[in-house]
Amino acid sequence: MTQVVSIQGLSKQFGRVRALDGVSFGVPAHSIFGLLGPNGAGKTTLFSIVANFLKASAGAIEVLGIDTRHISRLRGRLSILPQDAEFQRNVPILDQLVFFRRLAGRTRPQAREEVLQTLDLVGLQSVAKRRVGSLSHGMIKRLGVAQAFLGSPEVILLDEPTAGLDPANARQVRDLVKQLQHSATILVSSHNLVEVQELCDHVAILNHGRLVLAGSVEEITRAHRECQVDLSRALRDGERQRLTAVRGVRSVEPISLPGAGQNHVAQTAGYVVRLDLSAEGLDQDAVTAALLREILDMGITPRRLLEGRSLENQFLEVTGAAEDRAARNGGTDAQGKA
Amino acid sequence: MNLGTLNARHIGLIALHWSRHAVRGGAGLVYLMIALVFGLTVAHAVIMPVEQLMAMQKRETGRVDPNGVNSVIVSVGRPIAGFVLGIKSIGESSGPDAPPAGPGPANPFGGVTAQAGDVELDAWTSYLLETRPALLSAIFLILVFGMPFAISFLAFNQVTGDIQSHGLRYLLLRTERGNIYFGRFLGTAAFSTAVMAILIATITLYLGLRVRIYPAAALTAWALRGFLALSFLMLPYIAVCSIISASVDSPFLSLVLAKLTIGGVLLFAVLGGLKWEGLRLVKYALPWGWQNHLLHPEPSHWLAAGLACLVYMVVFLALGYIRFETRDL
Repeated sequence: MTQVVSIQGLSKQFGRVRALDGVSFGVPAHSIFGLLGPNGAGKTTLFSIVANFLKASAGAIEVLGIDTRHISRLRGRLSILPQDAEFQRNVPILDQLVFFRRLAGRTRPQAREEVLQTLDLVGLQSVAKRRVGSLSHGMIKRLGVAQAFLGSPEVILLDEPTAGLDPANARQVRDLVKQLQHSATILVSSHNLVEVQELCDHVAILNHGRLVLAGSVEEITRAHRECQVDLSRALRDGERQRLTAVRGVRSVEPISLPGAGQNHVAQTAGYVVRLDLSAEGLDQDAVTAALLREILDMGITPRRLLEGRSLENQFLEVTGAAEDRAARNGGTDAQGKA
Repeated sequence: MNLGTLNARHIGLIALHWSRHAVRGGAGLVYLMIALVFGLTVAHAVIMPVEQLMAMQKRETGRVDPNGVNSVIVSVGRPIAGFVLGIKSIGESSGPDAPPAGPGPANPFGGVTAQAGDVELDAWTSYLLETRPALLSAIFLILVFGMPFAISFLAFNQVTGDIQSHGLRYLLLRTERGNIYFGRFLGTAAFSTAVMAILIATITLYLGLRVRIYPAAALTAWALRGFLALSFLMLPYIAVCSIISASVDSPFLSLVLAKLTIGGVLLFAVLGGLKWEGLRLVKYALPWGWQNHLLHPEPSHWLAAGLACLVYMVVFLALGYIRFETRDL
């Protein structure tokens, strides 16, 4: 698969702080690539180095086969939605975006037409003549997305594109990103793991500046022999034992909810079922089918079944957040599972 | 430093966008106010006594004698002009033994304590007060001294505000850093020039239509020369602000440093020079030692002063560009 973005041994030092430490991964063409990590993991720093806002301390980045230190060669082919960048507050948004397009060589009428079309995509055409300072936070975010989509770039970096947006606007942005996948490769950083799992086909997870996991969402979530099942009611102890006794099932554990404390078992009907397929002739589909039959036999309705491990669980495991949370809760999660 | 990636069209677009929106950005509005208030206050302070003199003359004789008024302006203005030109003290230049006016020897910027310097000074003063419209000359001399302080209110924020707010990031993938840097410089210079044009046109129109003691042609020609001198003089000061603006992340710090640099060099040279003669040379770190020569009668002087302004501008711009090109944004 052709790699559109290639990052090799990338490091960035801010004084004594090592923000990125030997990060390497590739982004396949026409993928929606999610960059995940807890706060301070180095996601924005990585995007900023790719866009040449920051200079790398070590390592190399190629976008579309071009070293990003020669960023001018990527002009018009790479665009970004920076995380905390502000527009000129007292200048009408139409003027600002027309100015951007004029830098790309368009005449004023051409630029104006393109800008109005793009603003229409994000639902901002009616406010095109307003000053940025008079827009709401959500509108400014959509304006940022619009400027990133201007001019059909081949690679788009979106740093937290839906942060601060209401659900309807977040959905609109996600739909736009999906539409653009046909013509562009898109890198998205986000804290919203459900969103990333829904939107992205590849992910990389950063923690403390290091790459801890990278690959396709499919590989990452299905690599673990487990599934997540939501039931119409919570299992009683005997019922859990019946499910554990299904051939190929190793354990059935309730999904812990943050802050639920000791009572969380009674409040949730979600379970993680870990499989053991080491025995001869077992495959995951057969075990899943047997498990569902057993659940139905007990008079319980399965509401949802997710094969593999959720991205959220994977994220919590590789970033150590689950352990940190358990430690903060005084081990209540572990007690709940016991 | 890669000047090969500079794009004249981009620089022009950025300069145009920047100067168009300078007033909206706040700094432009502040500069416009400060420059106009300062310039018009100076003009008022210089013109008002002359208007009172004319009014008195009219009351007493029923008419205004422009030559008589001009003689008074010249006699009062000569010691002040000498002092401002920084060559002689007031007492020396107004003394009865002052040599007659006449063209001085071409001695650009050399030591001027010798008698040749005295002759040159008088020639220069006479040129400003007698050959040229004296009132306008007086205003120009004060503006040449004061406007470098005012310009920092406009030039301090060429890029620093957008570095702090990360607003530059919307531009960095669309054009080269050098285009942004030089475009902002040009935009700032264009805005400063426009403000200077408004200021000088206002003063000149007032002198021509209301005071009416100078021929229109002489007034227009000298106004144009003063406008060019002041516009040119602003370039190295805007460039020194460019270095500061490209080096720090805080607009407030940039303003403070710009003020300290522009004022501090002069203060250090003047106060330090009282203690140790050699410290006077510090003023050449900025165009302070050259800028009055932009109003000199000898073409060799004003051309050399103009060239010096250009050299300062190029050096300061290059230093700022190197910083801007290589820093994290």
